[in-house]
Amino acid sequence: MRNNSLYLIIKRMRTPMYVLIVTFSISILGMVLIPGVDDQGNTYHLTFFDAFYFVSYMATTIGFGESPYQFTYPQKLWVGFTIYLTVIGWLYAIGSIITLVQDKVLAAQIALAQFQRKIRKMDEPFIIFVGYNSMTKAIIDKLTQDGIRSVIIEKNEEKIKLLALENYTIEVPALVGDISDPNVFRIAGIHKHNCRAVVSLFNDDVMNLHVALSAKLMNKHVTVIVEATEDEYAQNLKTIGADIVENPFKIIAKRIYLSLKSPSLLMLEQWIYGDPLVLRKKDKLPREGKYIVCGYGRMGTALEVGLKRAGIDYIFIEASPKKAAKAKRGEKVMVGDADDKKILLKADVQEASCIIAATKDDLLNLSIIMAAKRINPDIYTVARENRINDAIVFKAAKIDRVITIETLMVKKTYNTIARPLADRFLRLINYRGEEWGKRVVELLKEKIGNNPDTFETVIDEDHAFALVRHMKKCEEDIPYEILCRRRDNWKMCNSVLILYIKREDEEILLPDPSLPIKFGDRILMAGERESFEDVEYIMENINELCYVLSGRECELSFLGRLFLGRGKNGDSCSKVA
Amino acid sequence: MNLEKVISGFFIILALTMNFGFFYGDPTVLEQHNRYELFIAIIVNLIATIYKLGDKTHLGAVLLATSLVADIQLIAAASVWALGEYVTGLNTEMVTAIVSLSGGALLANIVSVVLFTGDVLKSKR
Repeated sequence: MRNNSLYLIIKRMRTPMYVLIVTFSISILGMVLIPGVDDQGNTYHLTFFDAFYFVSYMATTIGFGESPYQFTYPQKLWVGFTIYLTVIGWLYAIGSIITLVQDKVLAAQIALAQFQRKIRKMDEPFIIFVGYNSMTKAIIDKLTQDGIRSVIIEKNEEKIKLLALENYTIEVPALVGDISDPNVFRIAGIHKHNCRAVVSLFNDDVMNLHVALSAKLMNKHVTVIVEATEDEYAQNLKTIGADIVENPFKIIAKRIYLSLKSPSLLMLEQWIYGDPLVLRKKDKLPREGKYIVCGYGRMGTALEVGLKRAGIDYIFIEASPKKAAKAKRGEKVMVGDADDKKILLKADVQEASCIIAATKDDLLNLSIIMAAKRINPDIYTVARENRINDAIVFKAAKIDRVITIETLMVKKTYNTIARPLADRFLRLINYRGEEWGKRVVELLKEKIGNNPDTFETVIDEDHAFALVRHMKKCEEDIPYEILCRRRDNWKMCNSVLILYIKREDEEILLPDPSLPIKFGDRILMAGERESFEDVEYIMENINELCYVLSGRECELSFLGRLFLGRGKNGDSCSKVA
Repeated sequence: MNLEKVISGFFIILALTMNFGFFYGDPTVLEQHNRYELFIAIIVNLIATIYKLGDKTHLGAVLLATSLVADIQLIAAASVWALGEYVTGLNTEMVTAIVSLSGGALLANIVSVVLFTGDVLKSKR
């Protein structure tokens, strides 16, 4: 009883139905009342059935002829009248019903009902994405590959039609709706217990705030992931309880800082984000000399913090005097067009070691880089690329380092959703410093190689059946080291490195291999894909676990007990060798 | 005064009275039950049903249900009549079936009118 429009539509069908009933009943009554003459010449009256039958086929223009006998002229007169009456009534009714079927409101209602059914049936965890654009599309692509389901809320119907062209292996339900109506969230299933997160990555901070607020109020258990590029909004978002507030510019500033101060940590960070574990030429920023940063907007202010912390000499060029006026006292901000040669010369571009084009206009960024290169061919160039679509021109421009905001956001969001431990690991390593980072990178390279994968798992019944069973039965500590043993030779070690363990509130970075496994531990490991398979086998399969524990094939304890009477030590409780 | 209420009230009550008019009489004697009355009862019932369509309230839903019951019973009565007259021949059994079917419809119509008046009384105007 919720669909208003459905009732409106039913109400609209009332008039055609009246018309049908009234015209039919008038015609039938007339046919019954007017006397006819049968083939013997006797007077007779049509029965109600005869009349109903005749009128039915007359009105629907089927027309089987006059029945049961030829009509007399008075009857024909009446029929002549009723033909126009009923046929018009019938056509009118059919016409209105067909119009209703094509009605956009009705179509939208049907689409909505289908969407609601899909949401109702969805048992797996899912993520709600607000807005369908190149960023969310890329994230959904990655998530569907991992088998995580997504739901989209999008205002623009055309974009949803485009979604239908995408070939996702699992269905991605989409809803046309404006998030200013909180009801939209409810329809998208925010109240469901398997709704894991709401993601809103609008360029507009106000919209993100709006989404976060509605989402948190409707379901406080849901994780809210939003983008906020301005500090005041980030603050607001934190107070209303948004769980993860992403600021791409802060990440960029952090990376610039890391590449200047601790390249190992930068390597680790980029590796977690999906790059190989190597330091490329583009990651090596010049450590001396002056930096010119064009644009003192959101990215500029973020860079200011990073560069200052790294102790680099820098100067800003900003076109808008308004933005430039926001600078704190003592900051070097020049007002002028950054692609203007004079301004660049004034900023000593011929002496500078690096130029960062950080405006929100891709073309402007390109022309800044070109202008700077013409004056100083040796300058190190960094450009901000706002839209993924501009990648081709940026590639052609031979820029030393291109920072793509959208790609960054895609990877960051994907990490927070699909690999929460890796994301947390990144936050933690920031406090560890270069020395520690170097050690980890060396360890990874030595054990695994230049391009390790990561793997996250939990010690519980679903993921580690054998291990949990064994721990419950034997009540002895099993060290983490056994997970690293090889399935085909228990004395050898797999190329696996445990990076991080989350044990309730305790967080252990690079745990010692002799650390005992505990129920409920969440583990992040690095290694090769094949090794992860071994780890999963050891965790889940009793026989494999038994082998890596003792070096012996697991004995069939049941048969053993039955025939050989070796029940007590034949079980899987062998000592850790 | 709401004109729509007048019209819908008119049809709902006319459906009941017509139905009663047909039902009243010896249930075994077909001559005491007028075929025109049955015809008009069916038509009026159908119109009353359409009036109840599209009402979002709970009461509206129950009213619609009673009306549908009456429709089905009356149309069944008419069908039995047609069957008896053209196919099997009208015997007493058929005649009682026709009349008792319309009796069932009468009950549904009574419920409908009671609910309708109840709603009117509740609105205190």
